[in-house]
Amino acid sequence: MKKIEVHFTLNGKETTVTVDPNERLLDLLRDDLHMTGTKEGCGVGECGACTVILDGKAVTSCLVPAGSGEGRCVVTIEGIGSDGKLDPIQEAILDHHALQCGFCTPGFIVSAKALLDENPDPTKEEIKRAISGNLCRCTGYEQLVEAIYDAAQELRNVSGSRKIS
Amino acid sequence: MFQYDFCQAKTSDDVCRFLDTYGEHGRVVAGGTDLLVQIRDKDRRFESITNIMDITPLETEMRYVKEDGDELEIGALCTHTDLENDPLIRQYLPLLGEACATVGSPQIRNRGTIGGSICNASPAADPLTPLVASDAKVIIKGISGTREVKLSDFYHGKGQTDLGRGEFVLAFRVRKLEHGTGSAFTKLGRRKALAISRLNAAVVMRVIEDGSVASVSIAPGCIFTVPERVAKAEEVLTGSKPSEEDFQKAGEAVSAEMIERTGIRWSTEYKKPAVEAIVRDALEKAYAKAVLASAGKSEVRK
Repeated sequence: MKKIEVHFTLNGKETTVTVDPNERLLDLLRDDLHMTGTKEGCGVGECGACTVILDGKAVTSCLVPAGSGEGRCVVTIEGIGSDGKLDPIQEAILDHHALQCGFCTPGFIVSAKALLDENPDPTKEEIKRAISGNLCRCTGYEQLVEAIYDAAQELRNVSGSRKIS
Repeated sequence: MFQYDFCQAKTSDDVCRFLDTYGEHGRVVAGGTDLLVQIRDKDRRFESITNIMDITPLETEMRYVKEDGDELEIGALCTHTDLENDPLIRQYLPLLGEACATVGSPQIRNRGTIGGSICNASPAADPLTPLVASDAKVIIKGISGTREVKLSDFYHGKGQTDLGRGEFVLAFRVRKLEHGTGSAFTKLGRRKALAISRLNAAVVMRVIEDGSVASVSIAPGCIFTVPERVAKAEEVLTGSKPSEEDFQKAGEAVSAEMIERTGIRWSTEYKKPAVEAIVRDALEKAYAKAVLASAGKSEVRK
């Protein structure tokens, strides 16, 4: 099988990787680039642990062929937060003790980030829908919803935008 | 995991040539939300695949919803999220948007495409029943040009489509819902998110001022190997002002059709009342909307 070259933007940086043709985006991230923040849970798109942002949308990287990343923009958990500072979503998750074992946490944060980038003022129902593709087997959902809700408020305060009701 | 070679399409002609060259050994992939699962599961049907072509680079020409007279044309690369949020779909084909909104999870809806959903040929595909109820047509591109086939003629059996060697689906054409029309999509899954339909139903109904049904189309999902409208159930309602019992009777006509086609199975005891309820729900919702629409407070605005 012929190896393929994938050129894409990863967390804001132009990246080129040579991968096996049957790799998934998840394999490319974890095995080729050693970015292991993105987790593999089920491998069939049911659990959301491998969620990344692809061209602005949350997707499960276990269902994206690595080669389909060509020319696209990918944001992983490693690209959330900057200059050694946590993103407000991450801060809020700590404040709310919204993790137990932590395996699902990167996926939840990435889904939340995709939501807040698109909708800075979500209702709790909209938050629940946005994370409905992420499973937490420790079942800490309530704290996650509260944390994302607070993070949205914090982000709006920082950017100075007003809540429109 | 199977071994295969991977390439990307640059033009739609590339796709035809690829499929013509590799035949059963070649597959096109768009969102990958079905294919990558099937490959991982080592599904026997996919053992013969040696080459995969990614067609998402064709987004610029195959990801659109546009009006064309009294029809909508929907590019095969529209994702479920695209259709859920599309203003034309909301206005002229709301049941399709409702169905797309229930597919999988946000992540799946962001990647999975309408073309993939139809070509994967699962009788449980959510967008399938709304398209069947709206008498959609499939636009197919092949080596020697494009052709159109009715969606109801597109399936030859479970997992078998009308696509010949070198052919793939470009788009769908669907008639806009007429004035005075109501529609609904109802679904029964095991839980709210990430649940494949166990049963679903799509209804398109037009009523006239006195509240009687001018036309109705009823498409149940998951229960037939090849999706179809159920004429016997439609006849129950057409031409008169329906009562609650009539909706139930139409549901019973659907379950009778199911039993006639697939026989009595271990699941029939559960499925029969469930199918009837799903169809009745869809009919009640569509009728309520149709009555409002015919009174001018329309779901479908002209």
